[in-house]
Amino acid sequence: MSKELELKQKILIVDDSEMNRAILADMLESEYEIIEAENGTEAVAVIEECRAELSLILLDIVMPEMDGFGVLEIMNKREWIEEVPVIMISSESGAAPVKRAYEMGISDYISRPFDSAVVHRRVVNTIMLYAKQKKLAALVMEQIDENEKQNALMIDILSHIVEFRNGESGLHVLHIRILTEQILKHLVQISDKHHFNQEEISLISMASALHDIGKISIPGEILNKPGRLTKEEFDTMKTHTTIGADMLKNLAFHQDEPLVKEAYAICRWHHERYDGRGYPDGLKGDDIPISAQVVALADVYDALTSERVYKKAIPHEEAVRMICNGECGTFNPLILKCFNDIADVLPDRLKECNPGRTNEQELQEILENKLQPKDSSASERTLRLLEKERMKCSFYASMSDEIQFEYTLFPPMLTLSEWGAKKLRLPEIIMDPFKENGPLYSLIERGDIAEFLRILTEASHEKPVVKYDCKANIGGESRWVSIVCQAMWSFDDESQFTGAIGKAVDIHESRMRIDALEKMASHDSMTGLYNYDYAKNQIQELLKNREGEDYVLMLIDVDGIKKANDMKGREFGDKVLIHVAKHMKEIAGSDEVVARISGDEFLFLSKCDMDLDSAAEKVARAAEGEYEGFQISVCIGMAGTRNMGTNYNVLFHGADAALRAAKKNGPKHRENYIKLM
Amino acid sequence: MNLKECYGALEGDYEDVLGRLRTEKLVQKFVLKFLNDKSYDLLCSSLEAEDYGEAFRAAHTIKGVCQNLSFTRLYESSHDLTEALRSGWSDAAAGLVERVKADYKQVTAAIEELQKGLEG
Repeated sequence: MSKELELKQKILIVDDSEMNRAILADMLESEYEIIEAENGTEAVAVIEECRAELSLILLDIVMPEMDGFGVLEIMNKREWIEEVPVIMISSESGAAPVKRAYEMGISDYISRPFDSAVVHRRVVNTIMLYAKQKKLAALVMEQIDENEKQNALMIDILSHIVEFRNGESGLHVLHIRILTEQILKHLVQISDKHHFNQEEISLISMASALHDIGKISIPGEILNKPGRLTKEEFDTMKTHTTIGADMLKNLAFHQDEPLVKEAYAICRWHHERYDGRGYPDGLKGDDIPISAQVVALADVYDALTSERVYKKAIPHEEAVRMICNGECGTFNPLILKCFNDIADVLPDRLKECNPGRTNEQELQEILENKLQPKDSSASERTLRLLEKERMKCSFYASMSDEIQFEYTLFPPMLTLSEWGAKKLRLPEIIMDPFKENGPLYSLIERGDIAEFLRILTEASHEKPVVKYDCKANIGGESRWVSIVCQAMWSFDDESQFTGAIGKAVDIHESRMRIDALEKMASHDSMTGLYNYDYAKNQIQELLKNREGEDYVLMLIDVDGIKKANDMKGREFGDKVLIHVAKHMKEIAGSDEVVARISGDEFLFLSKCDMDLDSAAEKVARAAEGEYEGFQISVCIGMAGTRNMGTNYNVLFHGADAALRAAKKNGPKHRENYIKLM
Repeated sequence: MNLKECYGALEGDYEDVLGRLRTEKLVQKFVLKFLNDKSYDLLCSSLEAEDYGEAFRAAHTIKGVCQNLSFTRLYESSHDLTEALRSGWSDAAAGLVERVKADYKQVTAAIEELQKGLEG
């Protein structure tokens, strides 16, 4: 492969001045691939996307949008600073910014003016140092592995001596180790109470191999007696616990070694029972160290399933049943549950029997544990749970037709689920999503975005979930969506708003159906006007909320419809009514109501700025006229709120009585209820 | 006018920049590029709009570029302006703006001369 084709290491240059980026790029581009960003926000987007490929970041301090410290803060929060080294550049004078930047984890600092030799050297050094550190980490890992193997070997030899005297299969110690390890691993997964990391589990399993070392001083006749032990013999046998413990306690050195401490507890107490009826100390419940409790159970299981001088081997299923039924002593229910949970896989695990080997992944965990400051790292269990949750989320997201998103205030960033981004034809990560003319504004109306953000700011701890329905442009089509989202706050005392997570669901079809149903329920199908019931509700609402406004309720009867029907057919009569309805609707304001209440009767609630008669004339002018040779005229009965108040029933009956009076006087008459009185 | 004379005319330090950037070709490339740098326009427009935060950043950028190119005279005035603007607008800053403008014109005039020389 030619040199040019080899993959160059990548360097991100972040500086707001194109000139300065160009000068740096010029110095480095022969050996590195250069990516440029002109402010902090852009830089964060680049780091987010390809930090695994970045070998180094050259970062300016003073920049618009987000400055260099802002970038460092995010890199710290997200622990990116552990992955990519940063060299700070700036012409800032004074030591304070430099100090601050170092505290935030930068590796080096270059001040302007750039000297090409110096820049070059520092870049190379920093990249090399990081590479070296990674290499060293790998070396340490090998060492741990080697160390573990050595330790395991010594312990295996020692415990085999015991087994050899004991006449046991030789596999007993190995089995105890595997069983102990398997139970503990499961225990930390299902319990919040017990926190063992990988290193501790491996320590306890190793120490478990020493559980019976005390037997070295038990006479062979008793150890290997085929029949039942006498009481005296059994008492002697029991002393293997305290003897083993004493042997460890009397070691001249290594008293503070965790392995020795664990082994002591296991030797001494692996015959204690949860109900307090064990030996040598009669400890009860959780006074017995968990390590000893687990080893005790492992010991019982292996004893049952192995052949001994005095007994035959019991099959796995039978042994599990006996233990779970309490036929072999009382155990901590939690540990019993662990055992039962993993019982099915135990025979295989024991067969695999790869003694003393820690797999690659476990080694990695141990190493990370060693490299990390103790208090800040999340426990293995938490991380595993998080990873599981993340997988679950992304699975559900891909299954449902939902656009899921996460919005963080700092940095201002909107992250869309993969599916959602594709659906909306947007990138998965949008920096500063609510800036003027951002890509969101081509999707959702400006007013809707503003209203949604307003609602979001009203979210509270008591009511963190907010919902907003609006139209959105999805795949070129305007559709109704429902946005549901949960506001998030920081976990510290200040509890600052930090962003939100949520989803947008397409509710277009159901919304359209509801709209159609609502329309059907509220409208007269022939004229498209409101029907009586709906109009009544609307009017009551209007009258309740009116602000000093006077209204007049009019009932309108179209004259001569029966005659029209008779002469030109029923269809023609309907056409006349539709014509009348259309013209009345045209003059109705948004706070006025027109409805068809029966065959040829209409209702019009009109504002009444002057007198009732002129309101009625306005309606009459709209309704009357000529339709295909038919002269339309109407009778109108009126009732005004000024004289009669705002009770709907009173108004309606008044208008109805007035209409009947008007019709009595022949076509084209108007009557005001008050004047009838 | 050659590059060295240009540095004399704009009162910069030719030896220094050559020491750092190594080749005359590279220095010349960036000197010519200075004419396209937008920071000065940004400084003027943000001052007009009384956006002194933006003006500070623009002055800061000019200062950084001048530092890299060893435009000593403009570096000094833009440095003083940056420090003055750090705490917002003042009479002192107003005076410094005039200095930066005069120095900037001196620099661009010299570079334009250089450009003419190269083309001719």
